[in-house]
Amino acid sequence: MSVQADDPLEPFYFEHEEQEICGKLVPPITESFQEDYPTVVDRFFTRYYYFKGDVPYQVLYHSNRICLICLAPEHPALAEGISSVNFDIGNVDRSQNVVKGKGKKGGMILQAESTLALLTTANGATYKVPSCIRGKLVEVNTAIVEEPKLLEQLPEGAGYFAILLPKIENCDAIKASLLTQEQYEERLKTKNEGLPQIESTEDRTQNKNKEVLA
Amino acid sequence: MKNQDLVEYLRSCGVCEICQLRYLKARGAEYRNINETLQKLDVKLNENVENEELVISDGIQPSKRARLGVCSTCLGLFSKDFQNELLNSILASDFAKYDCQKIVLAICLPMSLQLRQLAMWFALQRRFGASIDENNPPDVPIKEAVKLILHPIICEKLAKGYDANGLMINIDLTHSLEDEEVEKLVKLNKEAFPAKASHQKRIEISRGLLEKQYQPSKVKAETYEKYFQIPCSNVEESIKLTSIDLQGPLICVAGRYRKLSRELSHTPWILNGQRLMEDSIEEIIIRHVGPHFTEKLGKITFMSSGREDVDVRCLGKGRPFVLEIPNARRTCLTKDEAFAMERAVDASGMVSIHHLQVVPREELTHIKTGEEQKKKFYRALCALHEPVSVKILEQLQISASFNIQQKTPIRVLHRRPLHTRPRTIYSVNARVHRENPKALIIDIVTQAGTYIKELVHGEFGRTTPSLSSIIGKPMDIQALDVVGIDLDWPHEVDNSKQKE
Repeated sequence: MSVQADDPLEPFYFEHEEQEICGKLVPPITESFQEDYPTVVDRFFTRYYYFKGDVPYQVLYHSNRICLICLAPEHPALAEGISSVNFDIGNVDRSQNVVKGKGKKGGMILQAESTLALLTTANGATYKVPSCIRGKLVEVNTAIVEEPKLLEQLPEGAGYFAILLPKIENCDAIKASLLTQEQYEERLKTKNEGLPQIESTEDRTQNKNKEVLA
Repeated sequence: MKNQDLVEYLRSCGVCEICQLRYLKARGAEYRNINETLQKLDVKLNENVENEELVISDGIQPSKRARLGVCSTCLGLFSKDFQNELLNSILASDFAKYDCQKIVLAICLPMSLQLRQLAMWFALQRRFGASIDENNPPDVPIKEAVKLILHPIICEKLAKGYDANGLMINIDLTHSLEDEEVEKLVKLNKEAFPAKASHQKRIEISRGLLEKQYQPSKVKAETYEKYFQIPCSNVEESIKLTSIDLQGPLICVAGRYRKLSRELSHTPWILNGQRLMEDSIEEIIIRHVGPHFTEKLGKITFMSSGREDVDVRCLGKGRPFVLEIPNARRTCLTKDEAFAMERAVDASGMVSIHHLQVVPREELTHIKTGEEQKKKFYRALCALHEPVSVKILEQLQISASFNIQQKTPIRVLHRRPLHTRPRTIYSVNARVHRENPKALIIDIVTQAGTYIKELVHGEFGRTTPSLSSIIGKPMDIQALDVVGIDLDWPHEVDNSKQKE
């Protein structure tokens, strides 16, 4: 009695109500609980990677071929601190993209190397976020424009820049053009092994400068 | 114009008694007893009719021949012989296979009948002048007369009631002169209604066109007479039956279903031409309910008040559904039969149905309309990364309704338009699993059309607010049950209890 009274969760415990369907007792919903339940990304997406120069990006490829374009966790901007995200890339503002109907009519057609957004970091570097795949722009995530800092803390997937819909017939070629999780880890490993830590940082900076100049 | 004169004239043209009554504008039951009605319509007629009979028995040949022959206006449609032929043909069809108490006749008449009506119209105008209207037909049109005369007779002989939604008996009629007359009609039509410009598409000849355009006010008698006789010619042959086709009524069978399996789709799930799951709710229900009503299960349409995902159970009272069964052989379902079906579906172990009943088609509006207004009750099993706190539980006790903005979920975005939809969440009530403080059981009441899984985890911020954003912590959904749908239709029937 006293134990129950001390338990602050006591008023909130779930009680299963019995019900019989098809002549059998309905198992309580709690029986479905799995300790190691995979995340939303693990359940429905495959992780692919794209390098623009030495800078990695992540493509979350849904089983229905929808793609979320994100920064790879190893994207240098995440460590540097992100100060702004802009979908107005100069000649065109990606956030003005409008799609209509099932066929997403009117969506901008993007190539893998098309710039999707501009990203600036705390130390003033600019990254051109590439589209990573060939496809139709369906949606851009304007929440990260308002609060770019979110990118550093959001759970996987929530920091997506855009949703792209590739053509069915291009899907195989797209997947082949990207790095799988395994290939990506392999590339990171060889890169880290091949170069001392400091040089690697310099190398990255150089690349970054190149990009800024480009 | 006296009725007497009219009838005498019609007789001289070889018009049968039923059609004489049509030209006297008789209604409904007046066709039952011809002599009585003739007497009633004009007292003087009474004697004259008898005189007429006498005259005939005295042997005035033309008149007699006309009376015994085929009626020149209905081509024998209303004759006793034809009624018998029709009745026998219906009985010889699959009629007995249909267990329907109500029938309706759909008769496709030869165009000759409409042409003959017009010929008689012109003839009456010539004979009786201005007393014959040029816009409204002088008779009760054949189509209407079929309803007044043939329908009750056939219904009575078959011992069935009349209902426009009953078993439809489609009857095709033709006449030996029809082809020839239609050919003439095509020529007449060109002359009577010349195309206004060469590029203008000529209007196809149809029964509707005849009905609307072929009146003395629109076609000149002289033009008509170039192709057809006025009054219409006598014919030797009677109208003929070409086919009888039965179309059973559309029967709606409603009930509520519950779904126990997390591996059963709503309808057959086919991806790239391959079935992903062996069975579906739709197929299980149709398999056990359909055969009672029809042999063609493929024609049955399954509808329900919304649907749940493959991995979602539907518990509580269940979800209203309805089967639309076209060309049904039966219209009734006894409680015994319904209960047997319910038990057969239960045996699937995956789906259960109850409150199974035949419902009027009009009631389908309950399931089809106001979908967005309906409330849906869910129970979700959610997982936190950490043990729940009292604070989190309190944040998830929401009794006041609030609105969310929900973008089309990514899982359906490839085949649905991108929209941001406002949805109302009526209440949220979270509890925790006694043995597992990371497992929350959340009861949610929402407006229909809310995607619950996305409401819980927020789908990368595409549903805002989400339960996860409300507590400011990641939260995922592991299982979902539908526990209620606030549609009190169809009404509850306990088929297991038999009433005396």
